[in-house]
Amino acid sequence: MVDNPEKDLLNIRADRDVGFFDLFSIEQISNDDLALIYQLSRAFRGYKTYKFDFNKGCSMVNAFFEHSTRTLASFDLSGKNLSMDTNSISGNSSSISKGEGYLDTVLTLDAYNLKTIVIRCREAGVPEMMARHVRASIISAGDGWHEHPTQALLDGLTMLDHFKSDDLNGKTVTIVGDIMHSRVFGSLVRLLKLLKANIRVAAPETFLPAHVENYGLKTFYSVEDALDGADVVYALRVQEERGANGFIPTLREYSKMYGISRKRMDLAAKDAILMHPGPVRRDIDVHSALVAVDEQSHILRQVENGMAVRKALLWVLCSRCDGKEKEVTLQ
Amino acid sequence: MTTLLIKNGHVIDPANGIDDVHDILVADGKIQKVEAGLNDTADEVIDASGLTVTPGLIDMQVHFREPGREDRETLETGSWAALAGGVTSAVAMPNLKPVADNQTVIEFIIKRSNELDLINIYPTGSITTGQEGATLSEINELKTSGAIAITDDGVDVQDEGILRRAFEYSKTCDILLMSHCETNTLTEDGVMHEGWVSTQLGLAGTPAASEDLAVQKNILLAEMCGGRLHLLHNSTSGAVDAIRRAKQAGKATITAEVSVQHFALTDEECKGYNTNAKMYPPLRSQDHVDAIIAAIKDDTIDAFTTDHAPHIEPDKLQPFDKAAFGSTGLQTSFAVMNTYLVKPGHISLSKGISKMSAEPAKILGIDKGTLSVGADADIAIFDINKDWVPSNENRLSKGKNCIFNGKTLTGQAQYTIVGGRVKFKQGQIVAS
Repeated sequence: MVDNPEKDLLNIRADRDVGFFDLFSIEQISNDDLALIYQLSRAFRGYKTYKFDFNKGCSMVNAFFEHSTRTLASFDLSGKNLSMDTNSISGNSSSISKGEGYLDTVLTLDAYNLKTIVIRCREAGVPEMMARHVRASIISAGDGWHEHPTQALLDGLTMLDHFKSDDLNGKTVTIVGDIMHSRVFGSLVRLLKLLKANIRVAAPETFLPAHVENYGLKTFYSVEDALDGADVVYALRVQEERGANGFIPTLREYSKMYGISRKRMDLAAKDAILMHPGPVRRDIDVHSALVAVDEQSHILRQVENGMAVRKALLWVLCSRCDGKEKEVTLQ
Repeated sequence: MTTLLIKNGHVIDPANGIDDVHDILVADGKIQKVEAGLNDTADEVIDASGLTVTPGLIDMQVHFREPGREDRETLETGSWAALAGGVTSAVAMPNLKPVADNQTVIEFIIKRSNELDLINIYPTGSITTGQEGATLSEINELKTSGAIAITDDGVDVQDEGILRRAFEYSKTCDILLMSHCETNTLTEDGVMHEGWVSTQLGLAGTPAASEDLAVQKNILLAEMCGGRLHLLHNSTSGAVDAIRRAKQAGKATITAEVSVQHFALTDEECKGYNTNAKMYPPLRSQDHVDAIIAAIKDDTIDAFTTDHAPHIEPDKLQPFDKAAFGSTGLQTSFAVMNTYLVKPGHISLSKGISKMSAEPAKILGIDKGTLSVGADADIAIFDINKDWVPSNENRLSKGKNCIFNGKTLTGQAQYTIVGGRVKFKQGQIVAS
């Protein structure tokens, strides 16, 4: 560790900016953007909870219209570590429950001169729609079945660090579970394309959205076939609260067909890692013994990387070097 | 006797096979002469040089929202939008508040539209009371009070047993049955076409099979029971394939329409979560659009409509999931047809006009849609070469939710004449 963390981070940043002002889809991110975010993330990770003054004077609101534990805590602590003033509103206490629309709520928040509004919501597209109306940078913390971009960013960092590489060329990532209702998948698949990974998906047909193969991936009904030689095993949670009921007969049968057990994990490559976006349903998505303690499990490492990635993102979005300002396209 | 002379226009009257420069003399609301080089004097003369003169357009499917949701549209504002689009007759759907399942609502619409004296409005009655799909409306009374057809448009009659009775009873009353085809258990929570675009957007999709199955069910029951079936707003390749087969089999009297947006646009319009692109049936993928255009060419599709569906802004300023279904269309339907079918060479202008005038008149059984001598003088005059961009600034409907906003269209009504009187002239409604 160097004596002056600020100086270290500023040296790494080298006056670089990202090409986007809001983040609601991985499609907005270029290779240069990704390289910058990951270089900063690794440095932030090294300084753990050190309080930087980079975003002092900047305010953020975490507008979580849908429940969250880890993502909310991660964004909030990341902001505070950058000396931001942060506030959180949640679905039940917000004006949405009083009949106010998202737009009016977000316009009100924007009038507080916020630098960024982090939005999580049940409906796909809300962060993208809101981004057109407000001056604050909108960061999606997950919208419906669409995307969860910061989750993919932290997942990508976890994979790259494990393989000590700048991309995933030649690596096979097998994603198992409820693809259709997963915003984590929506962002991950786009990021994996950017990182040049081979992508496999294992799920019953009922969990596969229309033409999912157009992403450039291979689908499997047999999880064993999909795991064969995989370098990353990425298990998703069955999303009961987003309507997965009826898509599978029972969780019991799902667990038997697709749950990641020790035996199934052994079908993957020797140094393969196990990942899961959380919260894990132990013994349904992943065998309980594998979750936290197994050396192949990177699930808690993902959480740590989440903080680092979000700090990097908040810094580059709130404090630009080029002085450019976001344009509001709709009034 | 008031007279009107339309000089030197290129007259396209598909029913009479006219496609040439002619003059038209109108007297007392009727067409008197359609000839080249007329020398008659008249109270009013329109120089239509360089313009195209057609029968007033007939739109078989519009939502005028009155009574009940006058904040979205009224019979008056809807009529303005129609006139600005060259539409002189419109068939009003019954999903109102209260639902048009009784003679009071039908009589109100007829009375109000007579008072307005703008366009011809033909009300429809609902097939089932409250459009709930459970019990038949008093269909004979709906007909005798002036309903031109019955339909539960907005929803579909899900119960096949009820639909069977509806066909049998509509045959008894000799009234056209118009079906909105949708299978609720396949649509589920779908908000757009199920396909690659819905997957990328993370939105719940409506499979084409939801429409296909309902179309096939309707055809089967029409063949079994008789009655006249008109299939509203078809959008899938499966639907038009089934209609083509049924027409070839000839076992039932079946007609079909497509709303103009469904041959013009695809589900790509939903990208960016554009809620104006949210409608039922949903905008489909290109393969379906191609099948629809083929079905227009071979006349499997008889008529074009708008499914004009105005909404207030807050109903569209919503997450895509929650936004209201529908787009306005009366002011743009001719331009959309001209831009997306005639200009690319898919069909002739005459054929397009026929599917927006003579053919709908035939389906509805009304004496309209032609420029025959003695016919009602409902006439539209278009500049078919004029490029324009629809926007909320140049819109007469209360509904500002038009999927064609911002797109350059070619062709615009310059004059719209109803019953021999000019009601719309170069961008302005002409007060009575």
